[in-house]
Amino acid sequence: MHERLSFYAKRDSLLHRLNPLTKLTLVFGFVLISFLTPFYWTPHLLILFGVIPLSFLGKVAREYFNTSLRLILPAAGFLFIMQALFQPLEGRELFRIWFLHPTEESVMYAFGNAMRIFVMVSSFTLFLLTTHPSELMSDLSRRGLPGQFAYVVISTLQILPQMQAKAQTIIAAQRSRGLDTESSFLRRASSLIPLVGPLVFGSLVEVEERAIAIEARGFTSTRVKTSLHAIPDTNSDRLIRWALILLILISLAVRLWLS
Amino acid sequence: MAIVNLQNVTYQYPLTSSPALRDVSLQINEGEFVAVVGPNGAGKSTLCYTLAGFVPHFFKGELTGTVEVAGSETHSSTLNEWVMNVGLAFQNPFNQISGAKYTVFEEIAFGLENIGVPRDEMISRVEDAMKLTDISDLADRSPYSLSGGQQQRVALTSILVMQPKVLVLDEPTSQMDPIGTREVFGVIRKMAEQGMTVILVEHKVEWIAQFADRVIALKDGEVLLEGTPGEVLTSPLVEESGFGISRYTSVARKAQKLALWKKHKLPVTLDEATEGFAHPLTPNPSPERRGEQ
Repeated sequence: MHERLSFYAKRDSLLHRLNPLTKLTLVFGFVLISFLTPFYWTPHLLILFGVIPLSFLGKVAREYFNTSLRLILPAAGFLFIMQALFQPLEGRELFRIWFLHPTEESVMYAFGNAMRIFVMVSSFTLFLLTTHPSELMSDLSRRGLPGQFAYVVISTLQILPQMQAKAQTIIAAQRSRGLDTESSFLRRASSLIPLVGPLVFGSLVEVEERAIAIEARGFTSTRVKTSLHAIPDTNSDRLIRWALILLILISLAVRLWLS
Repeated sequence: MAIVNLQNVTYQYPLTSSPALRDVSLQINEGEFVAVVGPNGAGKSTLCYTLAGFVPHFFKGELTGTVEVAGSETHSSTLNEWVMNVGLAFQNPFNQISGAKYTVFEEIAFGLENIGVPRDEMISRVEDAMKLTDISDLADRSPYSLSGGQQQRVALTSILVMQPKVLVLDEPTSQMDPIGTREVFGVIRKMAEQGMTVILVEHKVEWIAQFADRVIALKDGEVLLEGTPGEVLTSPLVEESGFGISRYTSVARKAQKLALWKKHKLPVTLDEATEGFAHPLTPNPSPERRGEQ
């Protein structure tokens, strides 16, 4: 039970070498542009000519398709069906079953929205695949993100698998004393209740010890923190970031101008 | 010169009815290796927290008397400054892993990042510390994938790398198996040999008897006895309280009753015991010979 709760795939690629903030800006850029621009084809084009080529550039195409399809297909598919069937848009009726009568317009509308979700989830996937969480956090704390915030994010990612392992131990211990964990759903659900006490209170006690341990290592020190990882922030990083911000502003302007 | 100086320290945790430390006065010299023994609830951990500044800064509560380490006084100092002087490691190695780092190397660097050590210096300090505690081969492992003994050595290294003047260890081997215990004691002993001031709370009397310069026995928050391992660990007072007895002392005490142990002094190490049984009429081996087993 030592796996990490992180998508990160270690490669050596242009995308991996970009500054984490640049990649984060890229993600927000894609999302904002696909939601802001009033053109129907923007999200489709962003996927085809933005996210997918980038996944090849980052040498994580296989992982990207794997994760994003598994994550997105259920969510975006559900959204598409619901909106296509229930969005009351006027237009040419495709078919009619009982009270459901999707029109061409509602299908188009639903597809557009599903694609926006697709852009959002898949660009975040790409980001997580190519950015190590601790690199992201040390870069952000260097830029003024409070250390406590960074600590909470990273330690949660690390500690969840540990808590899972502990829950398994407690279950095994309780089962060896006759706890029923294998019959009907309700029985099993109610048998989880005795697990909560030891797990939660045990974790609370641990929190105090951990607080002492990190305090003993100067966690709340008022000195300016430094970072073990030198995270490169090149001129091209800054250029990309400014270009993206400009594009976001243009999309916003186009949106305001056209509506 | 005393680097640690406690004068009439009394401390009571919030929401408790009696003090955990009562009128404790201690002087510990620079480079000294002091072991603390005592039954459960004697105030050993509280003493550690007091030395490390967590009492009163973290636990609040009322502290009277003065606690002085390396010339600064706990009341007029903040915890942030205090941890630079006194390093603290404790029982559970798992809870001492910060949880914010993915490799052992990063884990050890965590404290140095917090206190703003420049990157180049940080890397060389981490490398040196890892060499000292013999964990260089673990650098790229996840701290969570290690054995208890390895984790505890990582925790110790994480404190040592901050170069404290005094090292306070609260039962660092209590959750270790024999191999882990030996690994951790190896590190502690090395620290002591390099002149670090070490204050160690420990139940494993046989180890204390070998390494410690001085033993302090605590009971009910008070100093019961203080002296060399040979004096304290064989004292009837300690025996009555039921802690801090090595098996060598117990055996010799039994043998004494059967008139098989002829020396005046009781042994605390294997060497002293074998010496006593083999040559019952020569004096005890000199202290320099302790620790050679």
